[in-house]
Amino acid sequence: MARNLMAYPELRHPFEPTPLHPEGARTVLYQGRTIRLDAVGPGDGLLVSPADLTCVNGFELKPEGACYEALCIPLGDTVLKREADVTWIDLEAFANLLEQPFVADREAGVWSFGEIPQKRARTLIDAQAPEFEVKDRSGKVVRLADLKGKKALIVTWSSW
Amino acid sequence: MDVPVWQRVYEQIDDPNFVLISAAQDTGGEAAAGPIFDAAGATYVQVIDQDHVISQAFNFVNVPSAAWIDEHGTIVRVDEGTYAKTHEFSAGDQSITFGTDVYTPAVLDWIANGARSRYVQSAQNVADKLRVFSVDEQRADAAFRLANLFRAHGQAAKAEHYWNLAQELNPESINYFRQNLTLSEEGSAGASFRARREAYIREGKDYYRPLDIAPG
Repeated sequence: MARNLMAYPELRHPFEPTPLHPEGARTVLYQGRTIRLDAVGPGDGLLVSPADLTCVNGFELKPEGACYEALCIPLGDTVLKREADVTWIDLEAFANLLEQPFVADREAGVWSFGEIPQKRARTLIDAQAPEFEVKDRSGKVVRLADLKGKKALIVTWSSW
Repeated sequence: MDVPVWQRVYEQIDDPNFVLISAAQDTGGEAAAGPIFDAAGATYVQVIDQDHVISQAFNFVNVPSAAWIDEHGTIVRVDEGTYAKTHEFSAGDQSITFGTDVYTPAVLDWIANGARSRYVQSAQNVADKLRVFSVDEQRADAAFRLANLFRAHGQAAKAEHYWNLAQELNPESINYFRQNLTLSEEGSAGASFRARREAYIREGKDYYRPLDIAPG
């Protein structure tokens, strides 16, 4: 492994230090998206509203649990946190329940999530293309859903 | 380089129901990859994928790699060393050849014949071809994205930490290995890269995923 990491510090880190998000907010990385959550529950964890759960990963909070299409995951107290009249979902506990890999920097308030295994299985077992979101050079968002009805060739390359 | 070659293929296909997405896996961003798209006069969908989102979505670990997705959102071919043509160039008195001429005709055949193309693979074949990442390898992808976020916000120490973590969690990712080398003194094609390639050859491992298409 290359260990001469700081050979070109001006190239490695040319950017001015800027905050990731306003004080108290959180940043979530998932499927190519960077999602800022301004309204989160108390503590330094990742307690999100039901609406933000859906915004992050498409799951909807229903009486039977957190549901995504035909899949419903019953939730217990580890994931659901009730505070007065407000319901929060502990997104880190939800990831643990689903065995969804992630890396978090709690100090900075950032959670970077890998794919949810139940969604991943569709790709790895049924060959369904994975959900992703990238921007093209003109700033237009490109999602898997945009490709429906067309044949798509996706190629990767690099300048290096 | 395949970027201009794919432009010619795209023009040749000229089908409104065909989308070509070319995704540069480049933390160097627009400055690194943009001029290459511009020089090719690219009109297909050009993505500068600083976070390697496309590689992560398909569990690719090297470039070039590709996926074919049909009209129904099903992957019908995936994860091969997918050069668009054979490239030759000279380095000193040596002539270096890499790439292949069999892949582009297979793409053209698929566009023309769809599900009837003999290059279309079954869901089972595709599933067998896709790499299954361990939890650590998936966490490597998450760490890489985290590193890039910190880098973009000028937080060098955290960026270095998570960039290293990505490589430690997935040492088989040539993407992360070489992307990191781009910002080292030796560059992405220096001694470390050559040693790595030689180790692959010595150990009988594929540097590129084998292309399962017979020549001719």
